[in-house]
Amino acid sequence: MSESLVRRHGLESLLAGMPGSPSADPGVSVTIRGDLGHINVRGNAEGTGFVKSVEQVLGQALPIRPNTVSAGQHQVFWLGPDEWLVATPSGVAAELAGRLKHASTGIHASVNDISGGQIALMLQGPKCRDLLARGCTLDLHPGVFAVGDCAQSGLAKANVVLALVDDKPTFMVVVRRSFSDYLYRWLAHAGSDDGVTFRDA
Amino acid sequence: MQPQRLPAGGRIDRSKPISFRFDGRKLEGYAGDTLASALLANGVSIVGRSFKLRRPRGIVGSGAEEPNAIMQIGKGAHAQPNLRATQVELYNGLVARTTKGWPGARFDIGAINDLFGKVFSAGFYYKTFMRPKSWWRLYERIIRASAGFGRAPTEKDPDRYEHRNAHCDVLVAGGGPAGLAAALVAGQAGARVILADAQNEFGGSLLGTKHSIGDARADEWIARTVEQLAALDNVTLLPRSTVFGYYDHNFLAIAERCTDHLPEEERTGVRQRLWRVRAKQVVLAQGAFERPLAFCNNDRPGVMLASAVSRYIRRYAVRPGKRAVVFTNNDSAYETAIDLAEAGAAVVIVDSRMGGAGSVAERAANAGISMLTGHIVTDVVGRRRVRGVRVAGWSGNPSYLVESSIRIECDLLAMSGGWSPAVHLHSQAGGSNEWDTDRLCFVPGAATQANVSAGACNGMWSLRDCLREGMESGRAAASRCGFDAADVDLPTTRQGHDNPPQPLWRVPADAEPERCPKQFLDFQNDTSVADIRLAVREGYRNVEHVKRYTALGFGTDQGKLGNIIGMAVLAECLGKSIPEVGTTTFRPAFTPVSFGVGAGENVGDLYDPVRKTAIHEWHVAAGAPMENVGQWHRPWYFPRDGEDLHAAVARECLAARQSLGIMDASTLGKIDARGRDVVEFLERVYTHNVGKMKVGRCAYGIMLGEDGMVLDDGVMARLGEEHFYLTTTTGGAANVLAWLESWLQTEWPELEVFLTSLTDHFSTIAVVGPNSRKVLEKVGCSIDLGKDGFPFMTVKEAELGGYPVQLFRVSFSGELAFEINIDSGYALAMWETVMAAGEEYGITPYGTESMHVLRAEKGFVIVGQDTDGSVTPVDLGMNWLLSKDKDYLGKRSLARPDCVRSDRKQLVGLLSSDNSTVLPEGTQLVEVPDAPVPVPMCGHVTSSYMSACLGHPIALALVAGGRVRKGETVYAAMPGREPLPVTIAAPVFYDPKGERQHV
Repeated sequence: MSESLVRRHGLESLLAGMPGSPSADPGVSVTIRGDLGHINVRGNAEGTGFVKSVEQVLGQALPIRPNTVSAGQHQVFWLGPDEWLVATPSGVAAELAGRLKHASTGIHASVNDISGGQIALMLQGPKCRDLLARGCTLDLHPGVFAVGDCAQSGLAKANVVLALVDDKPTFMVVVRRSFSDYLYRWLAHAGSDDGVTFRDA
Repeated sequence: MQPQRLPAGGRIDRSKPISFRFDGRKLEGYAGDTLASALLANGVSIVGRSFKLRRPRGIVGSGAEEPNAIMQIGKGAHAQPNLRATQVELYNGLVARTTKGWPGARFDIGAINDLFGKVFSAGFYYKTFMRPKSWWRLYERIIRASAGFGRAPTEKDPDRYEHRNAHCDVLVAGGGPAGLAAALVAGQAGARVILADAQNEFGGSLLGTKHSIGDARADEWIARTVEQLAALDNVTLLPRSTVFGYYDHNFLAIAERCTDHLPEEERTGVRQRLWRVRAKQVVLAQGAFERPLAFCNNDRPGVMLASAVSRYIRRYAVRPGKRAVVFTNNDSAYETAIDLAEAGAAVVIVDSRMGGAGSVAERAANAGISMLTGHIVTDVVGRRRVRGVRVAGWSGNPSYLVESSIRIECDLLAMSGGWSPAVHLHSQAGGSNEWDTDRLCFVPGAATQANVSAGACNGMWSLRDCLREGMESGRAAASRCGFDAADVDLPTTRQGHDNPPQPLWRVPADAEPERCPKQFLDFQNDTSVADIRLAVREGYRNVEHVKRYTALGFGTDQGKLGNIIGMAVLAECLGKSIPEVGTTTFRPAFTPVSFGVGAGENVGDLYDPVRKTAIHEWHVAAGAPMENVGQWHRPWYFPRDGEDLHAAVARECLAARQSLGIMDASTLGKIDARGRDVVEFLERVYTHNVGKMKVGRCAYGIMLGEDGMVLDDGVMARLGEEHFYLTTTTGGAANVLAWLESWLQTEWPELEVFLTSLTDHFSTIAVVGPNSRKVLEKVGCSIDLGKDGFPFMTVKEAELGGYPVQLFRVSFSGELAFEINIDSGYALAMWETVMAAGEEYGITPYGTESMHVLRAEKGFVIVGQDTDGSVTPVDLGMNWLLSKDKDYLGKRSLARPDCVRSDRKQLVGLLSSDNSTVLPEGTQLVEVPDAPVPVPMCGHVTSSYMSACLGHPIALALVAGGRVRKGETVYAAMPGREPLPVTIAAPVFYDPKGERQHV
């Protein structure tokens, strides 16, 4: 693939339509991580050598405890007993997906580069939990949903993968591409009292 | 200017006068007033008219139980109908209108109804408006105009509402003494606490009272407790917030009124907020409602609940009358008498009990109050305002008829029929209620969820018991969440009342209820004792039926005032006990909730997600109207130079047939399927021979439900020996994936197959028409696109214009066509690249409408349009897709006798005999147009279009036994015009041999 291809995350025109000079100290700042690639990995965590071969390629652990994230060179999200999401810079996603496919040859596994199908948003700021609470039914209290936790849930009327990245706090919200325009509008509306701002990575 | 305002006291701020309008009159109150207290301060006695009889009505209560003072608040789009004046905080510029009575509540023409009160008895509507049947529309208009409280604004609601999810260890509903104590104990133990209270300030019934708690006055204790709570990070305080619903799994709903108490020009941000709370433990502390007594004319303005009178005096410094009679069957109203006396009113207590009250009687006597024990108020004198009451001696015999009575002059009657705990939330949660014969009320029985009732809502009347139960329940709730609460000493408070209440509901009069002035039970619905008795005479026995026949407990107050005495009267009529009769069901919402807060942010653009493809913006810029397909927005057609739909579609179809069209097909469902057993799995869910497909081949496949009916269809491709790519219909994508997963996970877990959705990852661009190969070659493709190098129904990985793509040689139009699957991040660039390259061929983007026409010309069905869940593949003529060599889902159902009937509706083509009429989709087909009605129908039109390339209309239809009827004529029945003869034809209208796609 040519290196010169420019990816679009699809929210460019919404960003361009934002009012100028966002407040310096927003309650929530949303960063659109169009620069992240996404790889869906499926396999059996038990017994087949799948975990070992995947971990060798990733260079980090595959989270086995439900609803947790392994952070390292990549961020690996537990999605289900046999399903994970690997987030990594989009420039290397295709190549990483290829190596994962190769490593799992002969093992019951499935690796799909789904970079075009998902968008990650990073929400940061003191009002993050307030904003998320307007659309998400999960308990995001720091004592309940801690750094390194993730979950698949709903945010407003979109399905998302949600993770707490750090205790600033920074939340990562992964949404399907076709729902991202809706979710952007919802965040802008629901967060308007909290001075929500948006920017590109 | 405020004749009934006391010179001192109360929790109002006399330095902040507030002006407001009531039915056009300019009035003044103070900060801290409710609309009700301000109206009383101004001496307003009539605040509405009753529902049926249009009797003048005044303020009765001081909270959620208020049945009469239902107001329209605010102007224009901000207006709110249906608010209880007792719960509306006064603000500058408030505009309130009464909602009953024409031309107004003070003088109402409808009051003539009262003269015919006997006619307007229970079941009046059912008896009166039934005949003649054809007049119902007229009746309904009149009933609707005269019914209801207020008018919904017709303008778009300009305010913002929001929803908010919350979780806590302990939710405390109600911020009176019990609730405050519970929240403080639980909060100090470290539990996450939410304390919600409907009023503007915490304290509940304690606000403004003379009680002392320990060394503090009541108001000081409240302030101190609230301060302690506010200092705790783990406590969320929600004033102006009504816990209105208690649902399963300790899920509760709270309506918070954020800005309704502010002048309209000062309101910013969210107006109301819906809290959706998941609580580990719930403490219910919403207090109790005082009950009225059912004596004659007990609805006259100036008859009030005793506790409300006390509250207006103590909290709002309003004395609702100068000469008062307090009529009671229990001790608590004596406090009201004392409050009235201290406020300078002349007071007489009429106590139905021979023995009178306990220790409070002595304090009343010391206050100079005269007491008549063993007496009852039998009737009220005065129409627009209480002018006096009739009082008679009574021995406690319920069937007693009054022989002589004395008249006592007064302008206020404070009544107390005892207290009923607010068991609403406890009951909504599924908890039972038990009748307490000593306290004469239903008290909460066993809870079915993690909740406990504390204080007055548990039947505890004394402040000391309320505080004790609050502390105990707060401690217990915190402890069940793993928090240890420190011991707290119960502060000393005055002892409660000692003499028990007397059972007294329907108050004896000088005649039976049918022959004496009305004794009201439910003020809002004009339900009287006589109505309940009538319902019983007419055969109603069950309390739920009696409720619906008499309207007892309907309306905005939902029987908070009248239900219990109504049920007591019903029990008396039936000769049963009150617990035998039972209560009606308690349902959310506790008090009315606005539509706005229910909708929250799910309005306008955000009502439902709009899914957009990666090329969406291009379509919008090109001026394409959008069509909803599931949640997707798809371009419908691309009008040029003022074209209408038909002109644009004709042009688009011709372009695709003659040169080059392009369509965004990204919304197709896409599934990656792989694993050792993928062939076996797909053999079971598709009807054709999947295993025979060679790598690199595509095939059209259908899947059936277990009933043999067509479930979904799409092209699939074999990408490797153990690797397939499946497509589904746009609308079916999520359901098909869930359907396949459910078979894999629950029925066939032994199959090693993984499914992954690629719907959003790949965008799909269909390049269609005789010049499609040329344009792709011009863009630059890494593979040979020739007929032999890349034959029809194959798939290849390729690089196209520098982008990695999956290229399919498939066609949904019957033309030479390619479908490009590309990473959505590059889809717009690819679309624009192909558009630019296609310019020389007149490349024409087309939308869903042309796609439908093109496929219908070829007889390709759309699942969900030409099928409806009752159509088998045989009905569609797809026998060739049904493998005989294997089993698959739905196969056995196809052998059912009903599925092999020869007269099943089968897919056919239809041609209009006039060669010009485009049949409306859904048109019914009949054999004999002039047969007597009901005319037997033999089929219906499923798809119908004008075909530009054929020059005449075409339709697809399902016709009984249609496959063998080619050339026969049936009739299309269309409303308002003559049945049109139509000829049955083969469903493939264009290029029946399929030569055009094989080039």
